[in-house]
Amino acid sequence: MHGKRRPIPKVPTQIAGLDEVLEGGVPRGRTTLASGGPGSGKTVLGMEFLCRGAMAGEPGVFVTFEERAEAVRTNALSMGWDLAGLEKAGKVAVVEARLNGEEVLSGDFDIRGILAIVEGHAKRIRAKRVVMDALDVLLRVYGDPQRERNELYRLHDWLTDRKLTNVLSVKAQLDGNMAYRYEFLDFMADCVIRLDHRVVGQVATRRLRVIKYRGSGFGTNEYPYVIGGHGIVLFPLTQAELTHQPLGPKVPSGLAGLDAMLDGGFRSAACILIAGTSGTGKTTLACAFARTACRRKEKVLYLNFEESQEAMIAGMLSAGIDLRPALRTQRLMVQTALPEAMGSDNHLVRALEAIDSFKPAHLILDAISACVRMGSEQAAFDYLMRLVAVVKERGITCILTNQITGLLSGGEELSGIGFSSVVDAVIHLRFVDAGQEIGRQILIVKARGSGHSNRRESFYITDQGINFPNNLRLPSARAGQANPKDGGK
Amino acid sequence: MSKSPKAKNRAGKGQRGHYLLRLFMAGHGQNSQKALANLRSLCQEHLNGRCTIETVDVVKDFQAAVRDNILVTPALILVAPRPRVMVLGNLSDVPKVLAALRLSGSES
Repeated sequence: MHGKRRPIPKVPTQIAGLDEVLEGGVPRGRTTLASGGPGSGKTVLGMEFLCRGAMAGEPGVFVTFEERAEAVRTNALSMGWDLAGLEKAGKVAVVEARLNGEEVLSGDFDIRGILAIVEGHAKRIRAKRVVMDALDVLLRVYGDPQRERNELYRLHDWLTDRKLTNVLSVKAQLDGNMAYRYEFLDFMADCVIRLDHRVVGQVATRRLRVIKYRGSGFGTNEYPYVIGGHGIVLFPLTQAELTHQPLGPKVPSGLAGLDAMLDGGFRSAACILIAGTSGTGKTTLACAFARTACRRKEKVLYLNFEESQEAMIAGMLSAGIDLRPALRTQRLMVQTALPEAMGSDNHLVRALEAIDSFKPAHLILDAISACVRMGSEQAAFDYLMRLVAVVKERGITCILTNQITGLLSGGEELSGIGFSSVVDAVIHLRFVDAGQEIGRQILIVKARGSGHSNRRESFYITDQGINFPNNLRLPSARAGQANPKDGGK
Repeated sequence: MSKSPKAKNRAGKGQRGHYLLRLFMAGHGQNSQKALANLRSLCQEHLNGRCTIETVDVVKDFQAAVRDNILVTPALILVAPRPRVMVLGNLSDVPKVLAALRLSGSES
């Protein structure tokens, strides 16, 4: 009886990522409060909770105190939720509860009118869920914090008596006394979710935080989220990090010479960084890998922040790498975007959606140096950390290119943004002055879980592809003694 | 619908000056009972009984609450004469109710 806590019953929200943070969902038959400023997505959160519930067999009543029912239906439809259809099917009831502001007030009153309406609809559709959107708008009619409080307790009791799992949303302004006014709501509710919409480095970002959860643990971080085309998507980073797949078997790099240097190739599911100054051949190396992988009938997702797909294909053709067959067979998917085009959270959603639908074996990101243009170094770092966390969780090989400036003298941070700890292998490319001409050199700086050459090797980019003149071969030509202990994890 | 409501009103048999008041209540709540008592005495004192009081219990008939958009109770609607007015509360502030019903001044 004592000591061990019994887990409280929960209702999954089915909102991407949120149930992980809430360790299963919102409390069943109880009150969850979602508060946040304008544009933070409170309404979407409530709507998504209700629609996904209704589609999964838990009917619900949506009460809107601010927007017109028609606007609510239109907004839901833009997320792909057919409210009108669900209403027709008797799975959802939308109640527009707006005072027009012309009412005369005389003496005490209470909100039993709206409760009677909600009850009537709830009985009709056998509702299990209720969402009340913009509750603060209803409460405004009281103009008195004490009476507001009494009414909220009445509402809370009413909902609890009927065992309705409910989400209430209120606008919480940071300035003025609004926040204070609804502070007690935090006490009343069993679960409190704070939504925050802020602008950092001229790019809008959204953050979600769970303030409390009576009788349950929860993720305590601030989680970035976006309002995507299909509702809210949350990124619980810490959860993702714990489930990295171990490095897999060797996967050919696409170049015999490089395979020789790498003792057979990259490890699959590894995160590989190719760094070098502009023009040293980072993209060429990545594309050689992609071409060969696609020939083996493995899928490659190429995120290109530097150039259009056409420019990339044409550029590679002149270096003897023909990516067109890979595109034709749809084993190569190229997703291009200007880093500035949207916030890093949106870039992440776009990439994750592509990973979900395309299910690539390998991912190439070209180039992380461009990611800083998503807003700030922090934004780029968050983007990459989260992307790599997901990629590692799914055992996808990941090649990142990075354009660095100046020459490497040793000990530099080759990722440019303090990112090296999650990188399993690092390859450095550079120009060398070879008298009459400029040559290129390649060095394996590190390769976790793999033996590798410690020598800089020369290579040429010709219209026939990349050539290693030293005629490197496996394994005899391996110069320098690779550390066999380098293996393992 | 009618293009000439005035004409119709004049023709209406003794309808002029008659008040139709609809009071929405929630069960037997204290405020609802108070509102009904206040409304009855107001009718007697200021309208000499020239009024009809219609009561609706929203707990029993939520569709009526839906029709008239009743979010809080008690709520009074002046149905006739037009224009329609809504007063929220137990009607304890009599001067305010009279003003809303356009009765202040006309009687005293």
